[in-house]
Amino acid sequence: MLLQAKSITHYFGGLCAVSDFNLDLQAGELVGIIGPNGAGKTTIFNLITGVYRSTQGSFQFEGTELVGLRSNRITDLGIARTFQNIRLFQELTVLDNVRIANYGQIHYSPFVSLFHIGRFGLEEDRTIDEAMDLLAVFKLEDYADETSKNLPYGLQRRLEIARALATHPKLLLLDEPAAGMNPNEIMLLMDFIQWIRQEFKLTIILIEHQMRLVMGICERIKVLDFGATIAEGLPAEIQNNPKVLEAYLGEGAEL
Amino acid sequence: MNKKQIVSSSLLLIAIILLALLPLMTKKNSTINLVILLLLYMTLASSWNILGGYTGQTNLGHAAFFGIGSLITRLLWIGGIPFSIAFLAGGIGAVALALLIGIPAFKLRGVYFAIGTLALAQILNLTVSNIFPEMSYNPNLADYQLMPRYYLFLVLAILTIGSAYFLVNSKWGLGMMAVREGEDAAESLGISALKHKLLALSVSAFFAGLVGGAFAYYHVSYYLSMPFGPEWTFDPMMMAYIGGTGTIIGPIIGAVFFVGLKQFLVWNVGEYHLIIFGTLFILIVLFLPGGLVEAWNKSRRLLQSRTGQKKNRVVPIT
Repeated sequence: MLLQAKSITHYFGGLCAVSDFNLDLQAGELVGIIGPNGAGKTTIFNLITGVYRSTQGSFQFEGTELVGLRSNRITDLGIARTFQNIRLFQELTVLDNVRIANYGQIHYSPFVSLFHIGRFGLEEDRTIDEAMDLLAVFKLEDYADETSKNLPYGLQRRLEIARALATHPKLLLLDEPAAGMNPNEIMLLMDFIQWIRQEFKLTIILIEHQMRLVMGICERIKVLDFGATIAEGLPAEIQNNPKVLEAYLGEGAEL
Repeated sequence: MNKKQIVSSSLLLIAIILLALLPLMTKKNSTINLVILLLLYMTLASSWNILGGYTGQTNLGHAAFFGIGSLITRLLWIGGIPFSIAFLAGGIGAVALALLIGIPAFKLRGVYFAIGTLALAQILNLTVSNIFPEMSYNPNLADYQLMPRYYLFLVLAILTIGSAYFLVNSKWGLGMMAVREGEDAAESLGISALKHKLLALSVSAFFAGLVGGAFAYYHVSYYLSMPFGPEWTFDPMMMAYIGGTGTIIGPIIGAVFFVGLKQFLVWNVGEYHLIIFGTLFILIVLFLPGGLVEAWNKSRRLLQSRTGQKKNRVVPIT
């Protein structure tokens, strides 16, 4: 078991954003979380990654309790994420965006930084090489010195995923990676996600609105509505679940 | 090293040599005093920039660190302790004070740090002026020499700017900039925002404290609360903005520009220079948030695209 969520419940003030969320995630799985806007999908990512601290329940990642840990510690354990609205370090170059994510692997003290002595050069060169290798894998190496805000939208998405992978995660959380993409781009993205999954031996949780993408690649789907899990199962089961249709289309709707 | 780096490092070397030889070139104390003021401001603005420009945390109480450094150094030194020890104690005292305000304030996000530092400087200003209402005099006036003071300020400015340069070109500096660009994203990549903010704050306060100590060594007589005054926060901050925050050269250019313009305006329009500076600051923040450095880069880009050399991408001077 890679990640286990046990009765996770989270309140924002009096509002119950997530109630009794459970998940058993095996290594290598690709699980989708879908649901209407405001269903609590992104909140679950924020709870896993320690942006919020869940009111109740526990997340066990390879046996380690995540609730109460700071975001950066959780990243060190091997969980990386992307954001719904791309959050690149806009003023920094493409290379630096990835270089930063290599952070856990660089070891020198602030004192060494002040004088650029000792292992400084060695460690920096190694990090730059690694970052460039990763950019090459993602076909971004030509943009290495470009300020990241100048990249076209699709490449910004790709860079954000590359950056997340630079932290060497075991579990990758993708928050609406297909947002703003056309059907053709979504097809490419599906291949891309399958490919990084194999190449980097990842377990993936995917939040998505684009049914084409979710139904196409997820092995298992959980459906949230108003914070509660209303359905769970294989893509085919979800598609015909009356509760899901009701949540998305309203009561009495038929397809 | 490429051509650009050779040019800029030789320019830097020439500037340092000229500054080092300045006392041989002029016998006028007024010139030396003016350059001391310039070096002091460069140090303050550069140290402010480490936290404010590179880490994105607005420190509205830099005077607190400058002031505490000068206070500690002055009291110890006048009290008979060797200057070098008193000087170092001032820097360390400033770091201690910085951590005292930084640790609680940085646990919260948003404006708490800005408000906290603003309040800290004001509280210290009032407290120190109540505890030490008398003017502080240098008792050994007979031994007073300007030259050691000048070189202390020069070395300190070089040390501060050099440290800032080395720090921001390291993984710690990269982390600081990541925190500035987006705290959530930085933390999601394993960067501790708190650690980086505290590091930037400590380095920033350390050099502010040291230059406070140099100030205490330099001034013959002043009120001990004077270095806590808000102008020691806002003038250096304005210099960083005028030159360009988040760049190494920005605060240096800003300090030269600020001191030069101030001299000029004080001679010509007297007290009205405050109005002009206020207006200038607002205009720069509104229309040129990257300061003179950005203006320079932009105009070069414009010039290059006019002359059709689009291939040569402009590397921003940092």
